Amino acid sequence: MLSDDYSNEIIIEVEDILPGVQSHPSSNQSVREMAQVNSRVSMVSSLSDVEVVDYQTFSNRNEKRRSQLLQFSTSLNNSMSQTLCSPECLGIDTSHSSHETIQGQKLIASLIPMASRDRIKAIRNQPRSMEEKRKLRKIVDKEKSKQSHHIFEFNCCAQCLNSISRAYQRSHNSLSELLNSISLWQKTLKVIGGKFGTSVLSYFNFLRWLLKFNIFSFIMNFSFIIIPQFTMAEKNTLQFTGWEFLTGGGYFRDTVMYYGFYTNSTIQHGNSRASYNMQLAYIFTISACLITCFFSLLFSMAKYFRNNFINPHIYSRGIAKLIFCWDFTVTHENAVKLKQKNLSTEIRENLSEIRQENVRFTVHQQLTRFFAHMAAWVVSTGGAIACCAAVYYLAEYNSEFLRMHRDPGAVLLLPFVVSCINLVVPRFYSLFRLVERYEMPRREVYVLLIRNIFLKISIIGILCYYWLNIVALSGEECWETLIGQEIYQLLLMDFVFSLADSLLGEFLRRIIGMRLITSLGIQEFDIARNVLELIYAQTLVWIGIFFCPLLPFIQMITLFTMFYAKNISLMNFQPPSKAWRASQMMTFFIFLLFFPSFTGVLCTLAITIWRLKPSDDCGPFRGLPFFIHSIYSWIDTLRTRPSYLWVVWIYQNLIGSVHFFFILTLIV
Amino acid sequence: MGGSGSRLSKELLAEYQDLTFLTKQEILLAHRRFCELLPQEQRSMEESLRAQVSFEQILSLPELKANPFKERICRVFSTAPTRDSLSFEDFLDLLSVFSDTATPDIKSHYAFRIFDFDDDGTLNREDLSRLVNCLTGEGEDTRLSAAEMKQLIDNVSVAGLGLAGPGSGREGWTCGLKPSHSQILEESDIDRDGTINLSEFQHVISRSPDFASSFKIVL
Repeated sequence: MLSDDYSNEIIIEVEDILPGVQSHPSSNQSVREMAQVNSRVSMVSSLSDVEVVDYQTFSNRNEKRRSQLLQFSTSLNNSMSQTLCSPECLGIDTSHSSHETIQGQKLIASLIPMASRDRIKAIRNQPRSMEEKRKLRKIVDKEKSKQSHHIFEFNCCAQCLNSISRAYQRSHNSLSELLNSISLWQKTLKVIGGKFGTSVLSYFNFLRWLLKFNIFSFIMNFSFIIIPQFTMAEKNTLQFTGWEFLTGGGYFRDTVMYYGFYTNSTIQHGNSRASYNMQLAYIFTISACLITCFFSLLFSMAKYFRNNFINPHIYSRGIAKLIFCWDFTVTHENAVKLKQKNLSTEIRENLSEIRQENVRFTVHQQLTRFFAHMAAWVVSTGGAIACCAAVYYLAEYNSEFLRMHRDPGAVLLLPFVVSCINLVVPRFYSLFRLVERYEMPRREVYVLLIRNIFLKISIIGILCYYWLNIVALSGEECWETLIGQEIYQLLLMDFVFSLADSLLGEFLRRIIGMRLITSLGIQEFDIARNVLELIYAQTLVWIGIFFCPLLPFIQMITLFTMFYAKNISLMNFQPPSKAWRASQMMTFFIFLLFFPSFTGVLCTLAITIWRLKPSDDCGPFRGLPFFIHSIYSWIDTLRTRPSYLWVVWIYQNLIGSVHFFFILTLIV
Repeated sequence: MGGSGSRLSKELLAEYQDLTFLTKQEILLAHRRFCELLPQEQRSMEESLRAQVSFEQILSLPELKANPFKERICRVFSTAPTRDSLSFEDFLDLLSVFSDTATPDIKSHYAFRIFDFDDDGTLNREDLSRLVNCLTGEGEDTRLSAAEMKQLIDNVSVAGLGLAGPGSGREGWTCGLKPSHSQILEESDIDRDGTINLSEFQHVISRSPDFASSFKIVL
């Protein structure tokens, strides 16, 4: 064997120089240290070989340094000879030591010219043990210091920069540690991951992510709109009965919760010159919230997309992936057993599929399948359209109905019906799989998702149409507050339904599955349906944020409660049996949140701000022909002041120009 | 728990932070958990850094207890000569590789070593069948039958039939005799030598975005 010869050569070399080592105390020590690490021969030998090569490459340098290097490499070589002598390490390991030698040489050579931060990163990235990494760092540092000493002294500036970057690094570290320590539900998430694996965990991560969005929006709204409004609030004369929590009307109409309560004046206290324009604050705060959401959605989408879809999946059937990707986060013993069972079933299914791959469907079978799919699509689309029509007529009729019934609970009819549709129809859709019989479970999930998102978004779309075209133009007093109220009701009803569903419905289903009809078994946690519910609620919040600035706060509470409710109701479920591509689905979910949901919201709000007339006697924009006129008049006043001309310039080139919107559309 | 005397020194902490992917908190937590495994008299700072903890004790940690690869994990990370115990630094190495921030590269490297049961630097059929057995568990109903296992792994025999070069080997596969008879190796074994080496393994893993998120153990 070639490598054997090679190592023998080194040993001989070591023996030659051995006396020199003994005289040198530091290398002596390192010999002892290295001798402890004699388990991984290949690694150690690669390190020592590197030194040999270093010695050769730098041999044209001065004599003193050469001798130093000699001593150092000797110590390492010596340790290697010891390791090679230990009997269990001989054999195959040495055969690939020569292969790793080259890597080691390259490594050290590449480490030396690096900046210290990059070097630490690179060393950290080495698949070596701590001791070896420490050694490596010592060698490189020594080299480095020698080099810099010989070429020129470190100048002051570089040192200064170095220390600044160090300090920055430290502060950055401690900041991220602080954030980590306050990050929510770390422990709970760990337990969930331990019992159910990464796929169910992704739902909870998504929930937490949305919660962060809402906390941010709430803080923005609270500090820039609500607190200023508080300073000049008038006394609320309405009666508080308790129904208001459900209907959102009554007492709440005259609180900071709704658009109608906000003043249109400029807030000014005492004789101070500082003033606060409520109109501008309102419009700027809300657009800042939405713009932040837009960019963070865009960035997270890009991040997930880069991670998950850039590598093309050439191999359609991922048995290798199935086998090499054991979920190490699962720590619960029963969960591990269940996961093993599921994995074994899946492998078998996959194998039998491969065996039957060549079985082709007959023309007759293909036709029946085609018609079954067609029928399912027609029925589902028809169902969604029928639901939309029903919601639309109900909403139209609702105002008359409310005039006849003075009962405060009557306003809840529309949200109740909408929530019922959202509860029943998706379950009806999932029954279609009995007819469609997709071979690929993933395709089934995607089809189901598309149908559900179509249903939910078209219901929201039809409601938006109703609000903007009927409620806004009906000449009602303070229509913005009315819309805000309806969105509040929808959100609350949706929350009540999902809470009842997760606490009661899923429990009942479990009892039925375990006691009455045992063939049903325990159900699996339906990630797709649950995530869609979150997306639906978030869409409502984004639409409502203009009409009801406190909505993010309400959503915060609901998400917070839902987290615990879902956490409790998880005991009714078993982990998903199919290997679910969690990260890819996550990309898809964020994409859905961005594309129909967030862009739809932007369109709705754009129409509201540019095309609708604010109501005459309430809200910050009262008396204006359009909402956007507040900006126009602000720009006009700025034009008269020369020091603010840059704002006018920005306005003209961004908001006022068609090109900017054209480019924005292209980017999106 | 470990007592106030067993705090790590500042320099050591900084060094650990530089050399691993762990944060300060995580290192301190790891040290505390490690000390809990030690007998009372070894819990001082210097002692705990020198102490070795046997596999049985490490494996009693709830994070590792149920893991089907627990023995392999310990063996790969152990630097003791007999490879049957872990020191604190080995333990940190383990946690660093399994942490959130470790790069996919280093994760896949160690995954390969964990799956390489006989430590010979390649995944051969023996390794793969042991791996599959670990994944499916040892139960009667979940264990794959010999035929299934063969179908899953089988490739070596066909590759050994003498498909001349790598190029013709590929063609022989796609249009050849038994195109769908071997799964893992067919998918992963690029150079058709009947085993999977590290770079082939990393190539396969790189196509699986879930790998990095699931190759994780958090204390």
